[in-house]
Amino acid sequence: MATALGGTIITDDAAAIAAVKSGDGDAHFVYPADPAKTATQVYGVDKGLFGNGEYDGVATQVLSISAQDQIGDPALTALAQGNISVTSTTFTDGEETAGFMGMIPPLIFVAIFFLVFMLLSNQMLTSTLEEKENRVTEMILTTLNPTALISGKIISLFIVGFVQVLVFLVPVLVAYVFFRTPLNLPEIDLSSFTFDPVQMIIGALLALGGFALFTGTLVAIGAVMPTAKDAGSWFSALIVLMIVPLYALSLVMSDPNSPVVQMFTYFPYSAPITAMLRNAFGSLAGWEAAIVITELFLLSAIVLQLAVRLFRYGSIEYTNKVSFKTVFSRPKAVGVGRR
Amino acid sequence: MDFAGSTVVEDLSFDVRRGETFGFLGSNGSGKTTTLRALLGIYLPTAGVLHIDGRPFTPEAGSRLGYLPEERGLYKKESVLTVMTYFGQLKGLSKKAAVSWSMNYLARVGLEDKAKARVDNLSGGQQQKVQLGVTIMNDPELLILDEPTKGFDPVNRRLLMDIMEEQKRAGATVLMVTHQMEEVERLCDRVILLKGGRAEAYGTIPEVQNQYGGTMIRIGYSGDIPDSPHYDISVRDRNYAELTLTGTGTKTVDEALILRDLVDAGVLVRSFTTSKLSLEEIFVSVYGEQNEMVGA
Repeated sequence: MATALGGTIITDDAAAIAAVKSGDGDAHFVYPADPAKTATQVYGVDKGLFGNGEYDGVATQVLSISAQDQIGDPALTALAQGNISVTSTTFTDGEETAGFMGMIPPLIFVAIFFLVFMLLSNQMLTSTLEEKENRVTEMILTTLNPTALISGKIISLFIVGFVQVLVFLVPVLVAYVFFRTPLNLPEIDLSSFTFDPVQMIIGALLALGGFALFTGTLVAIGAVMPTAKDAGSWFSALIVLMIVPLYALSLVMSDPNSPVVQMFTYFPYSAPITAMLRNAFGSLAGWEAAIVITELFLLSAIVLQLAVRLFRYGSIEYTNKVSFKTVFSRPKAVGVGRR
Repeated sequence: MDFAGSTVVEDLSFDVRRGETFGFLGSNGSGKTTTLRALLGIYLPTAGVLHIDGRPFTPEAGSRLGYLPEERGLYKKESVLTVMTYFGQLKGLSKKAAVSWSMNYLARVGLEDKAKARVDNLSGGQQQKVQLGVTIMNDPELLILDEPTKGFDPVNRRLLMDIMEEQKRAGATVLMVTHQMEEVERLCDRVILLKGGRAEAYGTIPEVQNQYGGTMIRIGYSGDIPDSPHYDISVRDRNYAELTLTGTGTKTVDEALILRDLVDAGVLVRSFTTSKLSLEEIFVSVYGEQNEMVGA
């Protein structure tokens, strides 16, 4: 086969290697008796980092053609090369599962969650710091209920987040719908995606609950920290908690019942990403989704109340960091206008 | 009011009458700002009630309240007009009314050309004027001023006093915290002195002076002034002395009795005049021992 491809059979390896060294020969290939167990050796003239890769290609090609020649049947050769297609149909509870194309749509919520959080997290953190750093909290609190103020800030952040997503998506959609041909954009066959309404609703609720929790938490942190710089370390810790499930992505995909994945699923600050991933992969049971969604919204409400209390006391400690002990040792209202 | 286990204000009861100017006095750490914050619902008291116009304060009632906090501040990266309009709207004015009011005020204080300037581009004195404008927007019925002249230059201090006078003439009630005793004597109808979170003295200025004995006797004399439980000798020169009566309220000894005792002791009294202690003297005598305390 080597001869047919233009090579020459040489029995004296040392002489052939010497010829290559001196530049008289281009390359010398030494095929062992059992190439499956012993490495094929190649000696060649240096052709540079990328050019030298050709020697591996030629050596492998010679062996491959030789093997095909031994088989003698093109169909068997194709099978031996693994050139086959497999169509899998799987079922869950008697229903055909969507497979890979069914995972993509719910994963959009992970992308949206990340996008919105990355775009708005700084605003979340500084939304209460602004009042504090400008020392206007007391004047604000005499005209505005702190719960209304914090709720208003969170709602406005939701709206800003929604607008930002639109700002990103609308140009993409306009370009795809109206300028696909001039922009040479690939055609996406949306019919190949499977949209499971339950998965989509769960994904949306997880994203919303996660956003509410992280927003409330960042607002609360902003309320107790004197400056954005002081709030930075807490902010970083929160980011780590949020993205840590991505480091265990293979485990989330392969073994969703492992203790690590279960912990990530139910720990509030790692729950949104983990649960959204598991929802997309189809490994999040309905009852698990219900628990996580309830947990996220419940904790968001608690954190909102906490943020209000921290804002009430923390934001007028203009230059000091307020400890939780100090805040929670403050009295509850007795016969005074409660806000 | 308790904070982290320590009592800051305790057993405090007072009222401010409609249309009066009320002085809220005390050294640093005596609980003045804490009481004001509790009054405005910023802090929630451990026990007791604080009413404004017969009701607990709510932010909804804040539309007719002008509050100048001890910690001054404005949104520094916004324009003057934006900041004033924002606070005006928070106080219930329409945007148009807030803009109109703000422009009129800025014209009055000579800042009409700064309406669109960012707050942080204004001088400290100009920012004080804006802060004052924010405080009195919407013609408040109640002005609560926490150390109103703190950090104000003399020009703005005069402006503040003029505005306070105007507001008072218009029927506003003024509650002010201050350390400036001459301002108190000039402006306030009644005062309360806080010490350790309790009322040390309370009433009109003459009443407070009486509560503190408040009478000083200046005498020109020859001889030796004897010690007495009825007075302290605060100044004793060769021919001049100042005696401060030690009793309080009804327990004050009659000045004539002091004079008779001096004469009986062989003192040749050449002059004998009495005067009340000034508020500043009372303040120093009350807080002299703790004036190093910090933070109200």
